[in-house]
Amino acid sequence: MLLLRLAWRNVLRNRRRTILTLLSMVGGYVIVTLVLSVNYGSYDQMLEQYTRDSIGHVQVTADQYLDRPRLQRTVPVDESLRGQLSQAQGVRMLTPRLESGALAYGEERSLPVEVRGVEPDQEDRLSRLSNRLSAGRYLSAERDGHGQHEALIGARVARQLDLEPGADLVLIAQGADGSLANELYTVVGILGDTEAVESRWVVLPLAAAQDFYVLPDQAHRWIILGDDFQRAERLAAAVRSSLAGDANWADNALQVSPWQVVAREFYETMQADQQGGMIASYILIFLVCIGVLNTILMSVMERTGEFGVLKAIGTPPHRLFGMIVLETLVLATLACGLGFLLAWPINLWLTLVGIPMSEPIEVSGLYFSHFRGRMSWDMFAIPTALVWFTALLVALYPATRAARLTPLDAMRRL
Amino acid sequence: MQASIQRKASADPTADVVFETRELSRHYGSGDTLVKALDQVSLTIAPREFTAIVGPSGSGKSTLLQLMGGLEAPTAGEVYLRGQAISAMSGRDLSDFRRDHIGFIFQAYNLIPVLTAAENCEYIMLLQGVPKAERQARVDSMLNRVGLSGKADRRPAQLSGGQQQRVAVARAMVSQPDIILADEPTANLDSQTGSDLLDMMHELNRREGMTFVFSTHDPMIMERASRLIQLRDGRIESDEVRA
Repeated sequence: MLLLRLAWRNVLRNRRRTILTLLSMVGGYVIVTLVLSVNYGSYDQMLEQYTRDSIGHVQVTADQYLDRPRLQRTVPVDESLRGQLSQAQGVRMLTPRLESGALAYGEERSLPVEVRGVEPDQEDRLSRLSNRLSAGRYLSAERDGHGQHEALIGARVARQLDLEPGADLVLIAQGADGSLANELYTVVGILGDTEAVESRWVVLPLAAAQDFYVLPDQAHRWIILGDDFQRAERLAAAVRSSLAGDANWADNALQVSPWQVVAREFYETMQADQQGGMIASYILIFLVCIGVLNTILMSVMERTGEFGVLKAIGTPPHRLFGMIVLETLVLATLACGLGFLLAWPINLWLTLVGIPMSEPIEVSGLYFSHFRGRMSWDMFAIPTALVWFTALLVALYPATRAARLTPLDAMRRL
Repeated sequence: MQASIQRKASADPTADVVFETRELSRHYGSGDTLVKALDQVSLTIAPREFTAIVGPSGSGKSTLLQLMGGLEAPTAGEVYLRGQAISAMSGRDLSDFRRDHIGFIFQAYNLIPVLTAAENCEYIMLLQGVPKAERQARVDSMLNRVGLSGKADRRPAQLSGGQQQRVAVARAMVSQPDIILADEPTANLDSQTGSDLLDMMHELNRREGMTFVFSTHDPMIMERASRLIQLRDGRIESDEVRA
């Protein structure tokens, strides 16, 4: 306690210098917190949209389907499995999807397309697909007046094949049984624009897609949405538990994967990008460090004589070393405390309100209208650890210098 | 003269010898620029002595005190405290030894400015690992003995020079060392304050048996000293034991 008191009083010794150093450390802390928060907040927005609109939080697929997707690697679509999945803790919504490729024909041209068989109502609730309509109306599960199933097509498909809502679309592919599949559909709506992710999609009702690919009561993915994409691992574990009694699960025929596994490359790229975004913060902390180093070094040099006395009366080198480090950590702790008090309300505002952009920006087909922060413990823990670690680092040289002083030489500077 | 000075020197630690130096030398520079600050000084200090090392500037008295305190390594010779060779120690051993066996009083008081009088005394016991309650009791008692019981919470800047030096005496004694080495302790004090301080130290010496060794020019210390060692050019010129 006396050592802590000594450190605290030494920190307060030259108040003006301490305040200036504290200001730079607090400034560094706040800026790093906010940079981190906006950085993570942006990714949160992106991932929230991406998982919600595209891949869900967790997927149930046939074993090896994610690594090597094949038409025949399917999961059952039945009430038993749906019930089991729905009962897993944290599951908010789920829907099956059948996915494969086909050749689409218009009046004069053909185009390879990505076919998705969905349950229209469930899919819309889960991925808000109808929000992406740029023309026509949303899909229904029923056949139209001509006995044809309805289809939504991507904007590129519409342009290449010169199709509009109301037009006929022909799909040709190979069925799961090896037969040649071909069918006529009525286009009811067009999705997004030609640059959108769904520009080459053809979306069919699930039953139509199952008929087309000869996959009765089958699909390729169960898409599951929980409350938070950040808790996907926990959700996946709950889904695995709920499947414990399922025969397919027992045969290792099913695989439960959180979105980080489903979109592994995307996840890894995003993490690398996040680290890249932190470089500016590291540079900032480095600059703050130089200021702190200067303060500590000045403080040590000014007190060289005093250290000589301390050593003369029996303070061992490691105690003196510890004393300087303790003083620096006291300063760092004070900076972190003040920084937290300042950064917390700003970060809260950033998270809840955010900074509106003059125009929404589009990144990989996802649109953002606000810069938003993330309010979580790590937004404060990372800067705290950074400030502490760097303070410790910059204290090493002055502390070593003080510890190595010979008492007599040091006392000559009194 | 050297023979008479070595009258108490012995190889083994004995109860009647606190300190011993043997052929102690400290040289600076080399060749033409060689300075013999201390040259083959041998002496012993007995318990309860109130010894003054005197001599003109450059005679080597401060150097002798520094070597005795392990603050400097000798060029040649040995220093023993209670039979242990200080000159063979280094680093942490030497720090610990100084902490536990030697009390220092400096000319410029050299208290830690951010600590109170009580905390300055407590600090060294903290290094010794003395329990908090005992530290507190010893500090109270010691400050009382040096006449500063009402000023325990004052920092050095809030005390007069004489009071600061009393705190320095308390700090030196509170760790219960074998010997106190005082380097010109009255040099920065007016004569009355210096005299009062010396009376106090003399009283502590007589009443509590604390061994003091002073390096000084001050006639007041010389008057009170039970032994007067005169140095000149790094060698002992005289060694007078008084009744």
